[in-house]
Amino acid sequence: MDSHAAPLRKARDSIPAKAGVGLRFRHHQVVLESHPASAWFEVHTENYLGGGSAPAYLDAIRRDYPVSLHSTGLSLGSAEGLDLAHLERVRRALERFEPGLVSEHLSWCIVGGIYLADLLPLPMTEEALEVVCRHVDQAQSHLKRRLLIENPSTYLQFRHSTIPEWEFLAATAKRTGCGILCDVNNIYVSACNHGWDASAYLAALPPEAISEIHLAGHTVRQIDGGRTLRIDDHGSRVAPEVWTLYADALARFGPVPTLIEWDTDVPPMAVLLEEADHAAALIEEAEIGNGRALAA
Amino acid sequence: METAAPSLLELQRALHNSLVEHDACGISAHVVPGGMSPAERLNVYRNTFAGALTTALRLSYPAVHRLVGAEFFKGAAGFFIESFQPKSACLDDYGEEFPAFLSVFEPAASLAYLPDIARLEWAVNRALHAADMEPLDTQRLGALAEAERARVRFAPHPSVSLVRADHPADLIWRAVLEKDDAALSAIYPGAGPVWLLVERLPTGVEVRRMSESAWRFTSALCDGRPLAVALDEAPDFDARALLADHLAVGRFIDFSLNDTSGNFP
Repeated sequence: MDSHAAPLRKARDSIPAKAGVGLRFRHHQVVLESHPASAWFEVHTENYLGGGSAPAYLDAIRRDYPVSLHSTGLSLGSAEGLDLAHLERVRRALERFEPGLVSEHLSWCIVGGIYLADLLPLPMTEEALEVVCRHVDQAQSHLKRRLLIENPSTYLQFRHSTIPEWEFLAATAKRTGCGILCDVNNIYVSACNHGWDASAYLAALPPEAISEIHLAGHTVRQIDGGRTLRIDDHGSRVAPEVWTLYADALARFGPVPTLIEWDTDVPPMAVLLEEADHAAALIEEAEIGNGRALAA
Repeated sequence: METAAPSLLELQRALHNSLVEHDACGISAHVVPGGMSPAERLNVYRNTFAGALTTALRLSYPAVHRLVGAEFFKGAAGFFIESFQPKSACLDDYGEEFPAFLSVFEPAASLAYLPDIARLEWAVNRALHAADMEPLDTQRLGALAEAERARVRFAPHPSVSLVRADHPADLIWRAVLEKDDAALSAIYPGAGPVWLLVERLPTGVEVRRMSESAWRFTSALCDGRPLAVALDEAPDFDARALLADHLAVGRFIDFSLNDTSGNFP
């Protein structure tokens, strides 16, 4: 590496422990024109694998902001193995955009060569843990990058699961050296849907592995019999209960790069920045709290 | 009833069958009910699967979507998704078979030009997302001997498509996307066929009409016919000027030399 260029690059490449915004196509132009006060941006890798205007926009935005690449298509939990052509496309995107962080989900989406366009739930078994760890190793070695693995929202559990999701995540991080992308909204949604204790989930995660946090809105769907199911649709502001859980997460993990995600009916950038400001204020409080703890 | 624990692969195949074939027999027994039926839980995933693919099709086929309306489009997409699922996680590549599907989709038969619009939109979609490639350096052609030049077979830029439509698909497509009802009603759908070149230029995606002979010559070059053969087959217009235009715009990215120029099938 060119040692003279290193300090500059580092400042530009790394994702700060501040609030960022998920960048969607409708905001490409406004980001270039008005240079909004987001500390960083994250994009869905799969939307930038081709040519044309989308990656050209990201090239331009990347000159001014740190960027994180968040994948949805690596299918780390596929029993049949990784789609190596897709892994190679992602590697080329990393080469082009030089992201500060690279992440994927604890889920699967491909079987029999068919892409099922969703983050599908894994059985929490020793077999699935081995498959996921093997694929995280394989992806990290092909991409030559540390991956962050995100907990997904789930709507069902399998009878033969034997490992709690939080232990599964912690074991994956321990065995592969990957980081954890802690989606606080997903923890809340899954905890409500399955009757888990969200605080106990947070408390079980290894703080040293937490490298990013996601926040988003979800909806509550009424089911027959007065029951509800929470759906992670990324289509509204972060729920008050999720902000509370986020403050707990910061108290436990310290300041962590935090992203506001919004994918359904994407609002104007100003609304996303308001949500990011809320997260930034909580990060600042956590920093003050950390300072007090150190001084004491 | 106790059910043996499935392997990860068995479970994933069963969930695939539930999402794609609407056959939940294999998966339901493995789902914890927990106050809701497995079917209700599986429905969340089925809706996401169908919704994501319908959205991908709508983004690639916006004019078809406007022409038939949201409800009809959703229904057609639902049938299409049952037969065609994506092969990769790049959804920009999904839906290539949609125009052919629409051409035999009975409920859409009254809109005769719909498959033409869909074929044009697929070409536009390809042009939008094709890989960025450097155009052919024409100095490499200049360095060839005359005899070698006759054997040149071009490789087209991946954004370039040639579309022949029975109907004036370009006019209809443009009027629909611009919501120009006056223009749309002024179009005579029988005013075809049209020969179109679709490509991505630095300024954006272009759809331009060509004469039939210019289109045939360009098609021959894009299909990799040797230059001398393509020129021989295009005697009635200035093919060399068009070739110069193709090279200047960067419609080719590379070339190879045919083994023997006279031996092309």
